Amino acid sequence: MAQLKLGRSKVTHVGRLPLNIAKDIVKNKYLYMMLTPVLLYFIIFHYIPMYGSIIAFKDFNPRLGIGGSAWVGLEHFKDFFGGMYFWRVFKNTLMISLYDLIFGFPAPLILALLLNEVKNALFKRSIQTITYLPHFISLVIICGMIKDFTSSDGVINDIIAFFGGERVTMLLEPSFFRTIFVSSNIWQHIGWGTIIYLAALSAIDLEQYEACKIDGGGRWKQMLHVTLPGLLPVFFILLILDIGRIMSVGFEKVILLYNPTTYVTADVISSYVYRIGLQDFQFSFSSAVGLFNSVINFALVIGSNWISRKLNNTGLW
Amino acid sequence: MAKNRNGKTRKRLQLTLGIVMVLSLLITACSSNGGSGNKDKTEPAQSAVGDGVSKGNEGSGKTVYPLDTKDTFSYWAPINGNLITFTTNLAEAPIGKAIAEATGVKVNYIHPTDGQAEEQFNLLLASSKLPDVLEYDWSIYPGGPEKAISDGVIIPLNDLIDQYAPNLKKMLEANPELDKMVKTDSGQYYVFPMVRNTEGLVFRGPMLRKDWLDELGLQLPVTIDDWHKVLTAFKEKKGAVAPLTALYANKMNLQDAFFGAYKTSHGFYIDDQGKVKYGPLDPQYKDVMTLFRQWYSEGLIDKDFPIVERNTLDKRLLNGESGATVFLLGGGMGKWLESGKAQNPAFDLVAAPYPVLKAGEKPFTGQLDFKYNPKASAAVTTSAKDLETIVKWLDFAFSEQGTMVYNFGVEGESYTMDNGVPKFTDMIVKNDKYTSQQMLAQYTVPNGPFPMHEQKTTNTFPQQDEAVQVWSETDAAKHVLPAFITPTVDESKKVARTMTAINTYLEEMFIKFVMGNEPLDKFDSFVKQLEDMGIREVIDIYQGALDRYNNR
Repeated sequence: MAQLKLGRSKVTHVGRLPLNIAKDIVKNKYLYMMLTPVLLYFIIFHYIPMYGSIIAFKDFNPRLGIGGSAWVGLEHFKDFFGGMYFWRVFKNTLMISLYDLIFGFPAPLILALLLNEVKNALFKRSIQTITYLPHFISLVIICGMIKDFTSSDGVINDIIAFFGGERVTMLLEPSFFRTIFVSSNIWQHIGWGTIIYLAALSAIDLEQYEACKIDGGGRWKQMLHVTLPGLLPVFFILLILDIGRIMSVGFEKVILLYNPTTYVTADVISSYVYRIGLQDFQFSFSSAVGLFNSVINFALVIGSNWISRKLNNTGLW
Repeated sequence: MAKNRNGKTRKRLQLTLGIVMVLSLLITACSSNGGSGNKDKTEPAQSAVGDGVSKGNEGSGKTVYPLDTKDTFSYWAPINGNLITFTTNLAEAPIGKAIAEATGVKVNYIHPTDGQAEEQFNLLLASSKLPDVLEYDWSIYPGGPEKAISDGVIIPLNDLIDQYAPNLKKMLEANPELDKMVKTDSGQYYVFPMVRNTEGLVFRGPMLRKDWLDELGLQLPVTIDDWHKVLTAFKEKKGAVAPLTALYANKMNLQDAFFGAYKTSHGFYIDDQGKVKYGPLDPQYKDVMTLFRQWYSEGLIDKDFPIVERNTLDKRLLNGESGATVFLLGGGMGKWLESGKAQNPAFDLVAAPYPVLKAGEKPFTGQLDFKYNPKASAAVTTSAKDLETIVKWLDFAFSEQGTMVYNFGVEGESYTMDNGVPKFTDMIVKNDKYTSQQMLAQYTVPNGPFPMHEQKTTNTFPQQDEAVQVWSETDAAKHVLPAFITPTVDESKKVARTMTAINTYLEEMFIKFVMGNEPLDKFDSFVKQLEDMGIREVIDIYQGALDRYNNR
């Protein structure tokens, strides 16, 4: 008896939801219509391809297809974790991301603060435009420029030689790779990154500056007590988003810049996946590696979101 | 949200590549539709006759070109780099049109982006949407051609060759050595091969600045010691910053040339007893390392050698930054002579013999290719439908008429017959606007599934003819491991897995040893590491495959 009742109440409870959705759809049909392309995009390009990830557990044979290939369980994962390059690519991915986070992340904030103090509008705007530019140049060209700058007869070496230093081909020095990678990242993205901070700056109430001035605050105090606190919320949201990406270094730039001499500091998980999968044809193995990377990223997002909720009660969900 | 970011970027790349490929397919499809529009006008009249002829063909076993057919098929092949200046599709080039006219078949050529053939080929296989014919190196298909057949990617051609390819069949019957190369251990033919002529077998080797040698009163170096003397002179007297340079990538390595002196190799080779060996395990390999280490520290080897790319190489050679390299006959020597002489009439290059330790020795090894070039050979995929047309079309290249078209182009336009010897016209050889290589790419097929005509040469300088002679003087024929030996499916899997790791390791260690980042007394642990990684098993596998090859 009791069970029956329970069952019935469950049905009605669950049954209510689709009913509401159906009503809602009828009511807001145009809104839903506008949503459809976005939904389709995510389903087609992000959810359906996930099915392909199962080749990480299979011995993928192109002709038999994803469904037809034989299962091999965790063999590819074992190969990866037991292989001699696991710790190297793991460490490199982590290190490059961390450096990028530590040095690259605050850079646009600092530039925005500096720009905010510039009163000459023409000068300010030209600085902005110049720093935006690298963002719009294709990565291949950016890397070509980096190669030229760092070659033994490049600009950077010219400067070093001018001060009496020794010329070195920097891309051949494993110890330089991360510095080159991260500093060129800053160069590429600093201007673009300031946009969001400058937007946030314009939202700060001018009265607050007035108040600060009346209280006797100079430019420095104004920046410290008005501008900076005004920017912090944006800063933290961006930071959470970035921490979630800590394990994903884009492979394009790494591949364009590295060579066997610098593998030791430059080879990251995604470039390893590219080499093994696309160049050496071991699709299953490289999916296993890619899947492992995704799992870590997933954990990092969950983790950083949890920490952020604990600390300042804001999070992505 | 960010969870799958890395996966996403990867997928996004695949997706973009996919879209690009689909688009290019669409474009070629469209253009062929446009083309067949013209054909339609003549078709009704022909098709009535057509059936009768094709039936007749089957009976007599003799094919009459142009074929009378409406069939068409898709043909995937990397496009020749020299053709890109003029057109992005072979069908649009004069040679493409000539072939279509002579065979009566309009082919949809699909070309991967230049320099991306490998990636795009792999993606193509993964997508399972195959074109009808694929021109690719099937010997590097994981598991080899036998596996490609058992995977259901390509089809065995034995019956088709018997039925529809009398020209190829004749050639294989007349040439048992070639026949052995183009089939698998179990006797299955899998491609229409590119067959090299005698001159085409040797196309790479060491070369030096002849004008520098003369100016400094130096002899052409023969031994390793001579090389040392010459390179030092280049550095000190000519101010060369990188006296010896080479491309490190693509295995056209600077190391390629100097290992033979020590009777070893940078990779697998066959020793005098016919056994498969792996160079880096040899004790002599350490001697080579010692030599390179010394040369490097003396500034004789390009100090940027691991990142030398094609444009750097050109720059170094043409600007007098380097005086010696190891590179190609046409794309290197020919090209540099052409542009070098334009800048400085004295500029001259000369081929050096593969170096030896003692004068009078014959070089142990050197570059030598086989009559069969697996790289530019075409296999028919399981997606192909009009097999008869495809095979007949492919066989055309092996007919007398076809060989002339593929090698020399259009008679009267790109070549003329001079006492029975075909000669390229001035339009090709002495073009004001374009190099001869560019013109040849328009009017001939430089690489592909056809036999190279014995009288065909693309050399434009006597120095090149001489180079072929000089570089041929080696024992390479005994010591080079054929690229087309075929391990079994399971063996190949093992080889692929082991060699991926080993190649990365070797590449890194080689550079470290040469640049001095790793002391040479670590050599023993380097060898041990290679053994731990499973190199012995790979050697055994190759030995087995070589034995089977020899017994074919």
